[in-house]
Amino acid sequence: MATTLTINNLTKKFGRLTAVDKLSLTIESGQIFGILGPNGSGKTTTLGMILDVVAPTDGHYSWFNNTPNEEARKKIGSILESPCFYPYLTAVQNLKITAHIKQCGTSNIEEVLKQVNLYERRNDKFKTYSLGMKQRLSIAAALLSNPPVLILDEPTNGLDPEGIAEVRDLITRVAQQGKTIIMASHLLDEVQKVCTHFCVLRKGVKIHEGLVKETLEELNKVEISADFDQEQLTNILYDFAGTEEIKANGNGALLVTLKPGFTSHEINSHCFDNHVILKRLLTQTNTLEKEFLKILKEHD
Amino acid sequence: MIDAIKLEWLKIRNYRVFWILLGMYLLALTIIAAGGVFFLEWLKSLGADFNGIDPTIVPIYDFPDIWQNMTYLGSFVKILLAFVVIISVNNDITYNTLRQNIVDGISKKKYLLSKLIFIIVLAGISTLFLFFTGMITGTIYSHVWEGRFIFDEMEFLGAYFFDIIVYCSLAFLLSLIIKKAGFVIVVLFLYTMMFEPVASAILTNAPYFKDSFWSGLVAFFPIQSLNNLITVPFGRYVFMEIQDNIPLKTIAIASGWLVFYLTMIITILSKRDLK
Repeated sequence: MATTLTINNLTKKFGRLTAVDKLSLTIESGQIFGILGPNGSGKTTTLGMILDVVAPTDGHYSWFNNTPNEEARKKIGSILESPCFYPYLTAVQNLKITAHIKQCGTSNIEEVLKQVNLYERRNDKFKTYSLGMKQRLSIAAALLSNPPVLILDEPTNGLDPEGIAEVRDLITRVAQQGKTIIMASHLLDEVQKVCTHFCVLRKGVKIHEGLVKETLEELNKVEISADFDQEQLTNILYDFAGTEEIKANGNGALLVTLKPGFTSHEINSHCFDNHVILKRLLTQTNTLEKEFLKILKEHD
Repeated sequence: MIDAIKLEWLKIRNYRVFWILLGMYLLALTIIAAGGVFFLEWLKSLGADFNGIDPTIVPIYDFPDIWQNMTYLGSFVKILLAFVVIISVNNDITYNTLRQNIVDGISKKKYLLSKLIFIIVLAGISTLFLFFTGMITGTIYSHVWEGRFIFDEMEFLGAYFFDIIVYCSLAFLLSLIIKKAGFVIVVLFLYTMMFEPVASAILTNAPYFKDSFWSGLVAFFPIQSLNNLITVPFGRYVFMEIQDNIPLKTIAIASGWLVFYLTMIITILSKRDLK
């Protein structure tokens, strides 16, 4: 697999504050990489450095195995927090500037404007657009050169629910084309839905890195209740080979932690064999949110 | 190179403010440089005379003196051209499009190049404009017609070109430092028209400073060093000795400032984090 981005000991200090501290990361092509972290944890600064608008204090990074940064950036579509365009120019005129910088020709402009639903307004000045339209124009600009890599910084910030759904839909569509996506967000739900890999930053330090899928599978808890004596049910459940731990849930239900490899299906048939009919059997999936808070707590 | 020009062109092509300012500048240039006859007629109507000479027969548009006269007058309105540069640079800062341009894939070096070429093109347009205005005005009013006189002293056009480039580079630098177009314009205007002239006048004329080391510093001031490239030419009409060439020393001082401005611009651009 080709390496898209290598970051090595990247550090940024603003006076006394260390915004990013010796960050090292490798992002392979095809990954959808989420950079998570609370506000002010250094996500945007990191993206700023790999896009050459923030000068690193120390360390280095390299795109596509040492492609010169300027050339590499032409192959990256970026959607940053706020859309930046010339307010006195129309959508088409603004995209012509983008196309000129990216050296990708202007033939794609109408196509991307249609994709983001701005085609009808293409000859209106940028300053007349609503926030959602402005954000959509920056999506169009990012897609213009059909880049193999997309960088998204809080892509759904300030959007209405419809806009959020559109951006998510876009990310999924782009991801299906095998593109690499690097995305900074504090919206965990968002990262959980679209990302394959993630890392967690806290005060500029990377405190965790892993696969989203593995992290979500880690937890294997089943909530059980039945019209049965709770003590007896507990004993029956302890007889089950896959039971790790049982806790009473307070509302008459039991929370069973399963050993790895066991499923709710097996626990159900075990109970059935012991003449217990379960009223409720609920597999609890882990969420990135819980995991995230756990990771942050561990590093407090 | 062509890329850098085109980038700037795409930014200003449909920008009305730019065309209005440029138009105003060229209009002001025409009026101040070619309107001398009307000015002299106005002087005459006031009853003025120069040692008994009718003002309207003063040959300000004779070749080759016309070049020094026109470039001297034309350099008064260069501040309007500096406004164009200020607005162009500050737009990129205010709208955050400088950052966007870089994120999209140009280097800071190329951005700098595009603005410098923009300045050079503005200076070029302005110099050419003055050249044609001079040729036309000369054709109408000049009493001298020989080719060697027409194209003599053209170095003043070169000095004028250089003057604008240095001055606009100062405007570029101030725009990067101050970041707010309106404020930069006020600062540049006050400095050019008031602070430095007043300071210069004090150092040159006040008894305490006069002929001292301090009055010698005036020639090194940013604006004064540019003004010294093309000195006041009108003394020649009252039979005074004037400087009718461009002293190498002033070129050296002005070049020093240019190098300083460019170094500062490069330093600021490469060190500043664009957020």
